[in-house]
Amino acid sequence: MSTPVNAEQAWQDLQRIRVPQERVYDEIERCAESDAGATYTTAGIMWVFLAVSGLDLPGWAFGLVLAAYVAVLGSLAVIYNRRTRMRLHRSRHSWRSVAAFFAGMAVTAVTILASGLLVDRLALPYGSLIRATVSAGAFVLFIGPANRWAVGSLRDRGTSDLRKGAGR
Amino acid sequence: MSTPSGFDELIHPATRLSVVALLAATEWADFPFLRDSLSLSDSALSKQLHTLEEAEYLEIRKEGGGRKRRTKVRLTSRGRSAFEGHVAALRAIVEGAGPAAAPAHRTESRAWPEPAAATGAGQQQHAEAGR
Repeated sequence: MSTPVNAEQAWQDLQRIRVPQERVYDEIERCAESDAGATYTTAGIMWVFLAVSGLDLPGWAFGLVLAAYVAVLGSLAVIYNRRTRMRLHRSRHSWRSVAAFFAGMAVTAVTILASGLLVDRLALPYGSLIRATVSAGAFVLFIGPANRWAVGSLRDRGTSDLRKGAGR
Repeated sequence: MSTPSGFDELIHPATRLSVVALLAATEWADFPFLRDSLSLSDSALSKQLHTLEEAEYLEIRKEGGGRKRRTKVRLTSRGRSAFEGHVAALRAIVEGAGPAAAPAHRTESRAWPEPAAATGAGQQQHAEAGR
């Protein structure tokens, strides 16, 4: 038994492969655009942590707050992971995803440190609240565009091989 | 005419090819996502998934219970290799046919227009059924 496959059919099959893969990138982009809730929730949790940790807490109390912060963030990650309908294959990620992740951490850390120093130097009242608000604000402002930037290149990267094969 | 190595009869049918192509881009996907993305009925998708599972091309895992029960589908390394081999074989067929198989309307790689009706141009390849 044999299956005849001519060049035209092979080309059509290559088109057929591309369509479902586009649906994967549609889902990734849809999630990236609609995850504002996750960003605001994370920023809110960070605000509470920074505001509380700015108080003069004893070491054990700070440890407790830190543990609670990590636990809440972990729970949030689990909840969002359960809602996800698919996960992109690791080979499809680009350097932008890693860069956005580390840049997000760096921007948040630098904002926390810089706003803390500024608040101390100017001896502002409610220093921990100011530091928490500035840091959470920087996080919200940075994460959205960074996420979109990271996701923006995935589709081209993922389908370029197929285009090379079938688009000639 | 010999078939390029890697051509896979099991994933050649259109629906199975779409299922495997979608899963190849993911670590895993859940059943409703596959069904909606491919516009298939539950039974049609289930049938294709079980055929592929029997060939050890994918794994089906059920998580949770009751109304929160979730079915996750994941391509195995064997399935991924088969898909990559199949894509390479399809490319080889297109490339082997030369310019005759590359219709004039395929001028821009991003345009992806529908091909004209098959004219019989290009080489006729035959895939052996036995894997």
